[in-house]
Amino acid sequence: MDKIDLAFTLDESMRPVDGRLTFDGEGVITVRENGERTRSLSAKDAKEAQVLGGVGCALILLTYENAPDIALARFDMSRLKAAGEWCKIVNHAIETGKPAFDDAIEPEVCEKCGKTLPEGMRVCPFCFSKTGLLKRVWSLMKPFRREAIISEAFIALSGVIYLSVPVLNRVLIDNYLAPRLGTAAQIMLLAGFMFLARAIGEVIFVLSSRVYARVGTLFSNHLRDLAYAKIQKLSMTALGRRTPGELIRRVMEDTVTIKDFLTDYGRWMVDMGLMFIASMVILALTNWRLTLLVFAPIPIVVVALYRFRSMIHIRYERQWRKNSRAQSILHDIIKGIRTVKSFGAEDREIAKFAGVSKDLAQVMTNNETMWALLFPAVTFFSGIGEFMVLYIGGKWILGGSLSLGVLVQFTMFLGYIYQPLRWLVSFPRMLADAMTSLVKMFEILDEEADIQETALSKDADVSGGVDYQSVSFGYKSYEPVLKEVSFTIEPGEMIGIVGKSGAGKSTLINLMLRLYDPNTGRITLSGEDLRAVSPRLLHEKAGVVFQDTFLFAGTIYDNILYAKPDATAAEVIAACVAANAHDFIMKSADGYDTLIGESGYSLSGGERQRLAIARAIIKHPRLLILDEATSSLDLETESIIQDSLNNLTRKRTTIAIAHRLSTLRAANRLIVLDKGRIAEMGDHMQLLRRKGIYYKLVMAQRQTNKAAG
Amino acid sequence: MQDVESASAPLLSDAIDLGYLDPDQARFSQTPGGFLALNYKGADYPRVSVRRSLPLAMPNEYLSLADPEGKEIAILRDLSRLDADQRGLVEAELARRYYCPNVVDVKSVKDQLGYVYFELTVQGAGAPSARMCAVKDVNKNIRMLSDDDVIMFDVDGNRYRIPSLKALNAKSRKRLEPYLF
Repeated sequence: MDKIDLAFTLDESMRPVDGRLTFDGEGVITVRENGERTRSLSAKDAKEAQVLGGVGCALILLTYENAPDIALARFDMSRLKAAGEWCKIVNHAIETGKPAFDDAIEPEVCEKCGKTLPEGMRVCPFCFSKTGLLKRVWSLMKPFRREAIISEAFIALSGVIYLSVPVLNRVLIDNYLAPRLGTAAQIMLLAGFMFLARAIGEVIFVLSSRVYARVGTLFSNHLRDLAYAKIQKLSMTALGRRTPGELIRRVMEDTVTIKDFLTDYGRWMVDMGLMFIASMVILALTNWRLTLLVFAPIPIVVVALYRFRSMIHIRYERQWRKNSRAQSILHDIIKGIRTVKSFGAEDREIAKFAGVSKDLAQVMTNNETMWALLFPAVTFFSGIGEFMVLYIGGKWILGGSLSLGVLVQFTMFLGYIYQPLRWLVSFPRMLADAMTSLVKMFEILDEEADIQETALSKDADVSGGVDYQSVSFGYKSYEPVLKEVSFTIEPGEMIGIVGKSGAGKSTLINLMLRLYDPNTGRITLSGEDLRAVSPRLLHEKAGVVFQDTFLFAGTIYDNILYAKPDATAAEVIAACVAANAHDFIMKSADGYDTLIGESGYSLSGGERQRLAIARAIIKHPRLLILDEATSSLDLETESIIQDSLNNLTRKRTTIAIAHRLSTLRAANRLIVLDKGRIAEMGDHMQLLRRKGIYYKLVMAQRQTNKAAG
Repeated sequence: MQDVESASAPLLSDAIDLGYLDPDQARFSQTPGGFLALNYKGADYPRVSVRRSLPLAMPNEYLSLADPEGKEIAILRDLSRLDADQRGLVEAELARRYYCPNVVDVKSVKDQLGYVYFELTVQGAGAPSARMCAVKDVNKNIRMLSDDDVIMFDVDGNRYRIPSLKALNAKSRKRLEPYLF
């Protein structure tokens, strides 16, 4: 390929247009609108191609060192990702002088129909096949298949036994009762058979239900385990695409939906289908004319059900939404009750919730009313067949062309035939819900790990230095956060990273921990490319403290042990002493056994941070990463911790991010980041002498300290 | 009672200078590169963005003018304070930054696998065009701004507006109905 094309959709006045932006091997950019060339310019003089996001639209522009920027193409958001790729290729060519057209920019499309897939969706909603899905469920059910089949077979068997009752009934009436021929013993025998058939059918049914309930629970448990295990293994990039709430829903709710469907509907599918067909065959063999009558109202019932179904669906969907809205308001307010009270807004919140609640009640009442009307109506219509059979069948009996037993048998069978039809009202909705849950579940299970932990992944050697070689990275490919960052950290050094919010400090550390892989460039650790290093083993060996520390529900002791489960009590206490946490821990009655977390003792921000530091250093790691780890501490506590850390750090590489520059006074070197690039690098004194960004930051903080002091 | 209070209480907006644009000292112009430029109080800004503070509630008031770094130059209190030609330039820039075509027809709606797919005809500037869009979490992404005014956000981040449901044709309205509440 010697050029790269990007389709765009809007002209300069935001009218729809069939546009094409081409960058060729000669470094020429050509803009075409509706097939006509509107602009042609060389990328060589440009500084950079950029995507500039608007609201509901975006554009690509070319910036120049000494000339005004030029807008090249405008497009709606569907082209955003491709536009980012296009810019990357152009920028690469501008920087290196060599265009590289290794891959075409294609949005993810369905292999079958060619339609663009919605973002984050792997399954084409237009081509997805329900059978494919069911096949997959079948293969997932492998461990439980035998039990499921046995259970289905039992259900079918109990169905067949039930079917024999009306037939026996006919024999009883036609052969013994109507002609008044039977003896008491014969009648007793037949009645006994019927009783026995019922009893056996009931016993088998109970047994199979128990087996099936077990299978359903085991299966959903299996799915839950699979999903949870998968989520634990997913990279931060993949997890970042979903909210925690969504992931929890996947694991807890979707598995239940699937289970409910299987236990409430899955097993009946076989049973109902079988009963329906068997009843039909038996009836047709007994009397085909009467059978036709039975089926006469079926088309009406089916059509009516189909129409009602969509109506019901819409209504219940609305009820569900209102309900979830009321719930989320409730959740919000109870979580933020302190804020509500502090603004004296209780009455406003009461009124707000009352409004939503009333709304919900209204919808529910409407739905219940409709349901109360609809269900009897459907039952009534499907019962029309019954009346016709009775009326016409009765006439035939009087005329002598039909026996009483046959009529009784028919009326009994009617139930078996109409029951599955009534069941059809809710079946499609349940099927759709289960399908949705299944697809979402499979989406998670199919998520490919962005960061591959292959069998080849090597153990992490954190004793050596770290080397960034022109690393660029963005959480979204069109928005680089780090640009061409290169630096080396010697083993044992303490490096401070400074810069404004959003300069890319935390991203730098995320890459070092291999929570993400760089888009371009590479990072080496002890000479080894980080991509070859197992992230899990790396995390085990490095000590990390983030600003937003998370402590699990449990005792303080357990929380420290989380980092090193086999640590001795002496190690735990030593870590807490070094982190200056020991004293406050000992103040509480239960010491290290104090419960913390949601239901336990609530810690202050500074206390949490000190525990997090203790947790990080208990491994005595050779690589320690501190991301605003002491920001909630007062200066005095911070310096106590710093001193004790310094005593430990002799042979440890430490990388620390801090806004408060005094935190970094012990650093060997400071890296100053500005808009994703390294602006300055050197020790405190060197940087002060440069009078650049760092100098300004130091001066600004001195000012505030003076003002505060 | 409340009126008396608010009349006497000092307002924060009086205490803090919002840096309103002085229209007499501002000169907007269109660059050949397709951007809006501004000369304000003698300083040249070759590329300014115009951002709405309240894009939905007050689209033509409190417009923030910023340089490419996102640094605010001034706030334009109300678009109507500019004279016609200057206003035209700012309006054109707003149209280029805020793209939200109106829905004129809903051809089909398909609810599948947790996404709702809309086959729409939309119209912004220029001729109407066909659009296929997918909406996730209908709850969140189809918002009623009033009883009659709807905005939808699709999975890609595109926006569509139905300024008046009543004005939409009956079939389209019926198709949308289940997703509005």
